[in-house]
Amino acid sequence: MPRRPQTPTTIPTTPAGTPAHDAGREAVIVGGNRIPFARAGGAYANASNQDMLTAALDGLVARFGLQGERIGEVVAGSVLKHSRDFNLARECVLGSSLSPQTPAYDLQQACATGLEAVIGVSNKIRLGQIESAIAGGADTISDAPIAVSEGLRRALLKASHAKSLSARIKAFASVRPADLAPATPRTDEPRTGLSMGEHQAITTATWSIGREEQDALAAASHQNLAAAYDAGFFDDLVTPYKGLVRDANLRPDSSVEKLAKLSPVFGTSLAVPATMTAGNSTPLSDGASVVLVASRAWARDHDLPVLARVVDGESAAVDYVHGHDGLLMAPAHAVPRLLARNALTLDDFDFFEIHEAFASTVLTTLAAWEDADYCRTELGLDGPFGSIDRSRLNVTGSSLAAGHPFAATGARIVATAAKLVANRAAETGKVSRALVSICAAGGLGVAAIIESAASVPGADAATTGGAL
Amino acid sequence: MSDSYVSLVNGGLGGTVAKKLGLPRPGVLRRQTPDAPFAPGPVLVLGSPASADADAVAQLILTSDGGADLDIRRAAAGASARWGAVVVVLSDVEHPRDLAAPMLDLSGALRALAPGGRVVTISREATSSDTPSVAAARQGVDGALRSLAKELRAGATGNGIVLAGGVDLTAASVGAALRFFLSPRSAFVDGQLLTVSSVAGEAPGSWDRPLEGRVAVVTGAARGIGAAIARVLARDGARVVVVDVPAAGEALAALANEVRGTALQLDITAPDAGERIIDHAVSRHGGLDIVVHNAGITRDKLLANMSPEQWDSVLAVNIGAQLTINEALLASPAFTRSPRIVSLASTSGIAGNRGQTNYAASKGGVIGMVRATGPLLAGVGGTANAVAPGFIETEMTSRIPFATREVARRLNSLQQAGLPVDVAEAVAFLAGPAAGGINGEVLRVCGQNLVGA
Amino acid sequence: MGPDMVGRPSAVKTLPGVPELGGLYARAVLPGWPRLPGRSSGASPDHASLPDVTYRVADVVADPEQLLRYQRLLGEPADDALPAGFVHVLAFPVAMALMIHPDFPLPLAGMVHLANAVTMSRVIRADERLEVHAWARRLALHPRGTQVELVTEVSARYGAGDAMEVVWRGVSTYLAKGVERSGVTADPVDADPVDADPVAVGAPVADAPAVFTPPMPTARWTLDAGTGRRYAAVSGDRNPIHLSALTAKAFGFPRAIAHGMYTAARALAESGAGRGGAFEWTVVFAKPVLLPGTVAVSITGDDAGGFVYSGWNARSGKEHFSGTVTPT
Repeated sequence: MPRRPQTPTTIPTTPAGTPAHDAGREAVIVGGNRIPFARAGGAYANASNQDMLTAALDGLVARFGLQGERIGEVVAGSVLKHSRDFNLARECVLGSSLSPQTPAYDLQQACATGLEAVIGVSNKIRLGQIESAIAGGADTISDAPIAVSEGLRRALLKASHAKSLSARIKAFASVRPADLAPATPRTDEPRTGLSMGEHQAITTATWSIGREEQDALAAASHQNLAAAYDAGFFDDLVTPYKGLVRDANLRPDSSVEKLAKLSPVFGTSLAVPATMTAGNSTPLSDGASVVLVASRAWARDHDLPVLARVVDGESAAVDYVHGHDGLLMAPAHAVPRLLARNALTLDDFDFFEIHEAFASTVLTTLAAWEDADYCRTELGLDGPFGSIDRSRLNVTGSSLAAGHPFAATGARIVATAAKLVANRAAETGKVSRALVSICAAGGLGVAAIIESAASVPGADAATTGGAL
Repeated sequence: MSDSYVSLVNGGLGGTVAKKLGLPRPGVLRRQTPDAPFAPGPVLVLGSPASADADAVAQLILTSDGGADLDIRRAAAGASARWGAVVVVLSDVEHPRDLAAPMLDLSGALRALAPGGRVVTISREATSSDTPSVAAARQGVDGALRSLAKELRAGATGNGIVLAGGVDLTAASVGAALRFFLSPRSAFVDGQLLTVSSVAGEAPGSWDRPLEGRVAVVTGAARGIGAAIARVLARDGARVVVVDVPAAGEALAALANEVRGTALQLDITAPDAGERIIDHAVSRHGGLDIVVHNAGITRDKLLANMSPEQWDSVLAVNIGAQLTINEALLASPAFTRSPRIVSLASTSGIAGNRGQTNYAASKGGVIGMVRATGPLLAGVGGTANAVAPGFIETEMTSRIPFATREVARRLNSLQQAGLPVDVAEAVAFLAGPAAGGINGEVLRVCGQNLVGA
Repeated sequence: MGPDMVGRPSAVKTLPGVPELGGLYARAVLPGWPRLPGRSSGASPDHASLPDVTYRVADVVADPEQLLRYQRLLGEPADDALPAGFVHVLAFPVAMALMIHPDFPLPLAGMVHLANAVTMSRVIRADERLEVHAWARRLALHPRGTQVELVTEVSARYGAGDAMEVVWRGVSTYLAKGVERSGVTADPVDADPVDADPVAVGAPVADAPAVFTPPMPTARWTLDAGTGRRYAAVSGDRNPIHLSALTAKAFGFPRAIAHGMYTAARALAESGAGRGGAFEWTVVFAKPVLLPGTVAVSITGDDAGGFVYSGWNARSGKEHFSGTVTPT
């Protein structure tokens, strides 16, 4: 990997134990809801983003008794979006059991949509602009928009602007037979023409991440997700939809041996052996998820539980266009900046929820944090950022097993993380923290800190080492 | 699920044909609607000549909520309209011959009973400490009422209220039971005698929303009878927590939103199910007052072919889970505000049903359980009762083969199957504050099934 | 005018306008078509067998609609700056006209574009009135025939008066396969690597390197069958080998092939390094890109802000092109 020496970024740090934000108001996570994720063309083949997001909202409303409630704001989006869905979140609100007086807006940041929505509404709550919010997203491959070709589009636009019939006919005369073929949606990076998998295959090869390592991570994801379902962990996080009760992609009997039999699908034309298969890459999926965020007072007034609080979030982006960094490496940048600002280290976390776009995405991120050279030149650190305890990684499974309907992944992970830290804090009586990290198309990455909410503001000082 | 036969034989041409052919002609049942009248016509209160009890009952009806609008008579003479209901007060009979006058008066009135009319007897429990003649008279009411109910047509029903020793006509539950039997809420309850065993209970602030301020949990609520129970409890003012297995979550969520309650996805056989139910109800709604054990499964098989899994799963869900949850409820300080447990039993648990030994064991178990649980709750004004549905039109029964279903539908005095809402009305009645004097009982909602008791 | 002027034939023939490429091709392949006027050769020994004339066209202005279509097709920003590749489109037909000059020693039909090098010294605005000079030079022996360089210079006014400065200079190296001319020797550049001309230095006049090791790709181009037709429409270069499989077969290609300059211009656009206005842009062409086809591409930056790029067949690993974009 060509690594251009970078001027180390100056990371402003606050004294250990001093929260970077105003501790006066908190954004707490009450809970979440999602529909099981389906495989493309599966159970939700006939469901639209609006159908699915409305179902996810209604499940949340049912779980928390929010019928007729005016929520401060609903923020959601989808990556593959029909033009008719320009006001997707608001339309879903109107179709849900929430008060029709609930405002909403759409947000889109590729696979980070849901997490960015959570961070955005949390900030508004902390500023006191709103007291409650629902953040989330939906995506469907099965009901993806199909656009007309560029030639037909231009002709249609010209015709619609034409003043006379003859001008209109003239506009259509320019349409060629080939223009009538529809333009299917692309998940390729617009600037490179490479699919996300091909990009990651390059990153995987650059970091020499092995096949067995990837398959092991994928198998663990399936086993962890299946175990969590069996333990009832998702009973209050998932509401079945259209006959689907669990994530369709889940293979409880997945194993390294079985995964080893699959043929590579990405990176097959690279000089090094290809390692990425359909088994250690996320499948294209359909689904929707939401998470309910509120001020503590609002939650208390509505007799609602408080699982966790959203401590802070950080976005990053990498220069992937000309191969300077891997497409999905932005979280590797976001996390060190986020932790520095909050005077935390990797050791301060009980749970790491690192989105499994591909098994190797997780592994390259971890490898990058352990690589002194990368950490110095790219992250502006003095040395390796650190290692994580693998037993704390994606303990209830992640996208490899659950699937990854792009905009729906953020709220899935946040709700899971919130429940994990709440359970842990209840068991131990101590503050529990989860680090959430999601990579996204366009070289984007978003990370967030979720902390058990039994802790009171300022208590960070007691548990935070402030090692940075 | 709809019973087109009932519609057919109540239509003009179909009705004529059915009558000529001597086919059963089930009546259209009078069911609860927001504007339903208390009774479909004047109410006749019969009793022994100069019975003080009959006067008291007439007064009771007159002074009850909505009663002032009723035309209440103490004698049949001079009535112009068909009787909406006849209440036969037999609480003061001391000898079988005392039954003659009121029963024969009733005989005259029956011909003028309106479609969907009601006959309700009020009598006292016959016990071994009664004199033989008193016991004979009291027990005679039982036989007379059950037979009468089989004779009624056009959606009319006959039911009885039985006063246990020490309970007089002014007990809250007597009024509540009378009100229930007279009202459309008891549409599919027929030929039943319900015992009021104590003076506990109090009339609700509003008979329209008797469950206002109460928090109710309904298990197995996603569909069928459970969903109907949740709807009726919500209609009656309760804040409802609907519970079902996670797999039923989609329908459960839709129901929760419809009844403006909360959904709790939970496998009731989980060891901590009771705690989770209590925790949810208390933390979200500030308490827990009513628990309806509706969740149930069937794994029908002749005992000769029964597998351990089939036996165990039915017993675990239908009775084991209820026992475990009740233990948690009985131990919880939250469940002390005149709490109500209503469990769903089944006529199979009473009369038995071929191929349902496991199911009948569980449902018979429910009956035994409520009988034993009721007294444990009496100290805090609570009750535990069972409702035993007969043939109810549900998704489950719609899968019964047509011919079998047609036969099963007609095998009761009302010659039709009940609806889930009929069961729900009975549950809501027993869950109400005024039913506090009814405890450990089983109320059948079966249209007076011909099989069994 | 600096060293660029060295070697430019002093005899200048002013053409009334930029010729249409289509007409030039027709003249090249159809015998008996009237050729453009020119003088007979035989002046300096350096240009012994090339037309000793510089063609000139004045007052060349970009067509805004053509510019926009070019920008859209190549992925350049839709602004009023002329992309370096567009200037090539604008000016090169003047050089092409020389190739059908009666004195031009090589047949235009079947000529192969080996390499191209462009030096751009500043941003050229869409409404500037440009002057184009073009001449041929360096007829040289090549292992597979005879090569020649066509130099195109574009000048624009600067300051308040009518003074002109060279703002764009392109050197296109062509090969006439299997053609040998007496008296032509090997390219002197090979013997004299200190030659200041960036084209010659950057252009290995031999075939592509025998062993090409593909770097990690940074992009992939999926080129459909209409790629050649679309570039032909914005460039005017309607050479039949680019237009369809049928017309390409007539010239010995299995399918239509992408314009080399399309691939180079797209790499330039995607590097983003041409936006500053002053840079050198080179390309060397190896195997042609058959259409439809998929090209694995690497465009990577260096510390100085320059880029190297290459394109190859992802399956076979065979190189299609490689080049550089270097800010100056």
